[in-house]
Amino acid sequence: MNQSDYKKTSVLIVGAGPAGLSAAITLKCKNPNAKICVIDKSHEPGNHNLSGAVIESEVLAQLLRPVDKNWALDPLAKDVLVGKVKRDNIMFFLGKKFSFNIFFVMALAKKFGICFGQMLHGDDYIVSVSKLTKWFAGIAEKLGVEIVTGFAVEDIIYDSQKDIAIGVKLVDQGLDKDGRPQPNYVKGEVISADAIVLAEGCDGLVTERFIEKAALVREMPQLYSLGVKELIKVSDAQYEKFTSGRVVHAMGYPLWTPVLGPAMFGGGIMYPMGKNQIAVGMIVGLDWKYCDFNPQDALTNFKNHSFVKKFIAGGTIVQAGAKMIPEGGYYSMPRDARTSAIGSGNVMLLGDSAGLVNMMKIKGLHNAIKSGIAAGTAIAENTQSSVALASKYTELLNRLGVINEMRSARKFRQAVAKLGPLFGMPLASLGQKTPKFTPEEDYKELSSKKYKYKPAKNYDKDTFTAMAATTHREEQPSHLKIINRNTCAQKCTPKFNSPCITFCPAGVYETVAGQVSPANPSNCLHCKTCQRKCPFDNIRWTVPEGSGGPRYQNM
Amino acid sequence: MSNFIVLVKQVPDVTQITDNAFDPETGTLVRGRLASVINELDTCALAMAYRMKDISNSAGKIIALTMGPPMAAEVLRYSLARCADKVVLLTDRALGGADTWATANPLAFAIRKIVKELLGGSDDYYVVAGMQSVDGDTAQVPAQIASELEIPCIAYATDVEYNSGRFEFERIISRGSQVVSPKTTPAVITVAKYEYPLFASFAATRRANETELIQWTAADINAAAVGISGSKTRVIRVYPPGKTNRKCQKLDTPDALAKILKESFSKSDDSKAALAAKTADYILPAKRAKKFDKSFEGTQKENNDYQALAGLLDELAIKDVSEITEDVKEKILDSPAASFHKKALGDMLASLSLREPAYNGQVWVVAETNDGKIHPATFELLGKARHLADSLDTRVGVVIAGENVQSYCKDLIAAGADCVYTAEDKLLKEFDPASYSKVFEQIIGRHWPQIVLFAATPRGRVLAPMISYKLSCGLTADCTGLEIRDSSRKAQTAVLMQSRPALGGNVMATICTKDSKSQMASARSGVMKRLAPDPNRQGKTINEPIKITDKDISLDIIKTEMSSGSVNLAAGIIVSGGKGMQNRDNYEKLLATLSESLSKSLKTPAERGASRAAVEQGFVDRIHQVGQTGTSIGPKLYFALGISGAIQHMIGVANSEIIVAINSDPNAPIFRHCDYYINGTVEDVVPKLVKALA
Repeated sequence: MNQSDYKKTSVLIVGAGPAGLSAAITLKCKNPNAKICVIDKSHEPGNHNLSGAVIESEVLAQLLRPVDKNWALDPLAKDVLVGKVKRDNIMFFLGKKFSFNIFFVMALAKKFGICFGQMLHGDDYIVSVSKLTKWFAGIAEKLGVEIVTGFAVEDIIYDSQKDIAIGVKLVDQGLDKDGRPQPNYVKGEVISADAIVLAEGCDGLVTERFIEKAALVREMPQLYSLGVKELIKVSDAQYEKFTSGRVVHAMGYPLWTPVLGPAMFGGGIMYPMGKNQIAVGMIVGLDWKYCDFNPQDALTNFKNHSFVKKFIAGGTIVQAGAKMIPEGGYYSMPRDARTSAIGSGNVMLLGDSAGLVNMMKIKGLHNAIKSGIAAGTAIAENTQSSVALASKYTELLNRLGVINEMRSARKFRQAVAKLGPLFGMPLASLGQKTPKFTPEEDYKELSSKKYKYKPAKNYDKDTFTAMAATTHREEQPSHLKIINRNTCAQKCTPKFNSPCITFCPAGVYETVAGQVSPANPSNCLHCKTCQRKCPFDNIRWTVPEGSGGPRYQNM
Repeated sequence: MSNFIVLVKQVPDVTQITDNAFDPETGTLVRGRLASVINELDTCALAMAYRMKDISNSAGKIIALTMGPPMAAEVLRYSLARCADKVVLLTDRALGGADTWATANPLAFAIRKIVKELLGGSDDYYVVAGMQSVDGDTAQVPAQIASELEIPCIAYATDVEYNSGRFEFERIISRGSQVVSPKTTPAVITVAKYEYPLFASFAATRRANETELIQWTAADINAAAVGISGSKTRVIRVYPPGKTNRKCQKLDTPDALAKILKESFSKSDDSKAALAAKTADYILPAKRAKKFDKSFEGTQKENNDYQALAGLLDELAIKDVSEITEDVKEKILDSPAASFHKKALGDMLASLSLREPAYNGQVWVVAETNDGKIHPATFELLGKARHLADSLDTRVGVVIAGENVQSYCKDLIAAGADCVYTAEDKLLKEFDPASYSKVFEQIIGRHWPQIVLFAATPRGRVLAPMISYKLSCGLTADCTGLEIRDSSRKAQTAVLMQSRPALGGNVMATICTKDSKSQMASARSGVMKRLAPDPNRQGKTINEPIKITDKDISLDIIKTEMSSGSVNLAAGIIVSGGKGMQNRDNYEKLLATLSESLSKSLKTPAERGASRAAVEQGFVDRIHQVGQTGTSIGPKLYFALGISGAIQHMIGVANSEIIVAINSDPNAPIFRHCDYYINGTVEDVVPKLVKALA
């Protein structure tokens, strides 16, 4: 092949995560001759993937059975699937000391068919999504899929007349801080493909560009949450006490104290990850109101709660990271206005890019994989022109039950967003009968109120980013853009005291010489919270050179 | 039409050390648990080769060559995705476990095969390599390849230009830079820095993944010395570097800090003198009080074993090793006090019967002169050589070469030398690695000292590998410890144990020479202590006959610049500023006054450093950047102003003897990683401190 042929492929998958790789695996199983290229901005597959996580065992079988009937016996599978959930703690924390296990409430709910019953995790596998992704990548490569990491896509080339995407444009490499080409400058190549799968994860850069270019619509704005997580190595005794099959999901303190305290949506998690390591995380809806709030502060409080502390006290943090979750659900899925397809023409949106997280289950991994199966099948079975792909894909998503599942949880998150947890949660138990609320974008919710449980000491963000092993080439232009600096100085700082400095989990933003600026872009963890929580919608996250960002191994 | 053979190496990624990378038992870094990457300086070598091809409009090829296990193919694909036209993987079990000698040799043979088979026998080629690898850190292999191929070697290159049909290389020399051009091709170029490593393109990456590699075995290249058996050094043990526990002491006033600094600098001057004056801590077997005393072994276990054995031999009333019959051996093995293996006992007894040292001859130092002065590192080596020679009951020699070197002899004798061997010739006016190594080879090969020490300066680190290779001697680079010990299990007495950090300072290794007539090592400057000069010392000067011709001059020196303005991050005091300096003016003003006053008051050279953040804010040029992503440093005093102390920064300064921090944030993490700190603004504290130091 000559050099220019390497700039073409039949199927281009943007994002080597669970969704994109599932699409590649499925397609390759159905059509071994398919030319598939998966591109990812991370250094290695899995480096940019972070989740809890628990995964429904059935969906894994659905994906991997066509590859190998005995997939579960693969030694790599045993390494990735840490164990099955045996003890499912659903806790409610009241203050720093008290905790109640409300599992029985959920179990009852399940019995009576009330939607909250979905929250149970029995028979799920406990996994690290970075490891899961790396495993999937290995499987895909063995099947003959090309996975090219270290290259970032900055745009999609779309012909709106013909409703077809021609290809993608990669980010330029070798620009200096001021955007001038250095001697080693390489212009971003244009990669063309017949079918394009956008599986970038939450708030995907190219996905959002595509939504704009192809005029896809969301019935309601997407809602986000930020998850921050530490992997903590604890003593033998602590780990044994926690037990290797237990997962903990906790509501209440430090995010929500009914009537008296703060009222935020979210909660804490504790998952055992093997080798004496417990993942401790805090997930907070981005619609928080408190201008001095940082989810890492909530994590500190959670770790100091008497229920959590006994398992992790004295432990050492071995890895850390942060990532956003798209929580809007059914009403926030971007769709073609005419066909209702999740995508358009030859472009399909998968997984978190499409917002396929079910907030009743607090899970999206199963839907991401199912969307991959649907996309792979759609490409394999599509005999018409590629323009029909997105519709075909959406039809298959429906057939796999994804759309229905998303529908069943459609009103929950919005109700809480609108009414707060105290009234929103009980109301949401009405399930389908819950009234339909249309919330605003998260960033509009910020107020000058303060977080009541602010810890005395600032969270150590330097160690956090070091434990995420994040790196970027220092001399490139800052990939974080402030649209209007006057807005920061004249509106935001006086009113909210520059919340980006507080909430960015990587400490990217600082006041330098009296001006708020993204002073440490190379610390960025690619969570993109800044562009969704800046109260004046004044920050844009653009993509840095490939290979940059965190290097999660076991998150 | 020049061609370029680029040497690339796969190394463990020492910048991303995971928590499980350390062996819980021994505390050492387990190499297999680290991710593998291409050696960073080799990426610079690729970029330099590409630049050379580009500026000379060459239609020649770039060929990447690596030696390693099959997985080293990854660095060849890395090269293909950037600029390489062809790649060669030299892989064979027989090549494993090699030291630099047995690495350079097969690589040179592979280069010969590449020239013959892939370049049509053309002599117009350059071997371009990173100056050193982060794992071994020896900087020996490229120079040794130049020795084997008998071609010029330009070390420490930082830039290249193409003028009137030839390449001119800018390179680092001690306290300056030089522009040189090799007189002939082929030539070896080692790259110390090159700012713009190449990016991969998407298309070339896909092509690289499909390209078939050329793969050769040891038999294919037919090299003379490979693997463990071809090596000239042996690793005795690997151990964790000593942990430093910082004091983290809070000081309330700049006056208190000034007092402590003055005290610790004057105190350490005393201890420096004490160290150098220390007498021998090794006693030759013939002089030991007890015949079976072997308290000079490598590890604690070995010492314990010998002690147990000596006790048993006493009990059995054995007076001489010759009295030990099979019967006695059985008794020893049966004894509950000893738990030796039969083979170990055999080794130990064999070593007890050895009374003669493994090596004979003097302890030599290869002197370096610069700008009409003896390099300070030469005096440090003399202090060490004196110490070693006293242990071995032998004399200290210095060998020095130049156009006119008689004037240096007196100072060298005063610093501890017994004999000064001089080589003088007009052709030695300027330093040239080929001519100087030829001269030193002749003199060392004539006298065969048992130990030859080089300073690990830019000059020493190219000379030492060339000389040792030609003389078929083992060489350990950049040592921080040199001691005489017995190596009993291998039945050698009074050998030089050479200790050095490896894997980016994450492990220490003790190495000794084998199958060599002389033990050679280069020593890191600033670690060994010089003796106080004694003008009354007696010594003799010996003029050595040498043979060189102008054909032995390998480089044209086009320009030499000795700059005072260059950054010397090896200075004894580094004063660094971080983002807390607020602006460039503050950074410049406060750092200049503080470093000047510290330097004056503590009588130690000071240099300015900066955190990554300060460089990003444009307070100072990137060459000043200290830390994991900048330069890793180990000064006597590290002074951090307005630096928060991110882990990445602290790793880069971990080798500092004393760390002082000034920061206005009471929670600054640096306060947990320093010796002394003041909580306050730099604008307030620095002027007060300067006053207190005066």
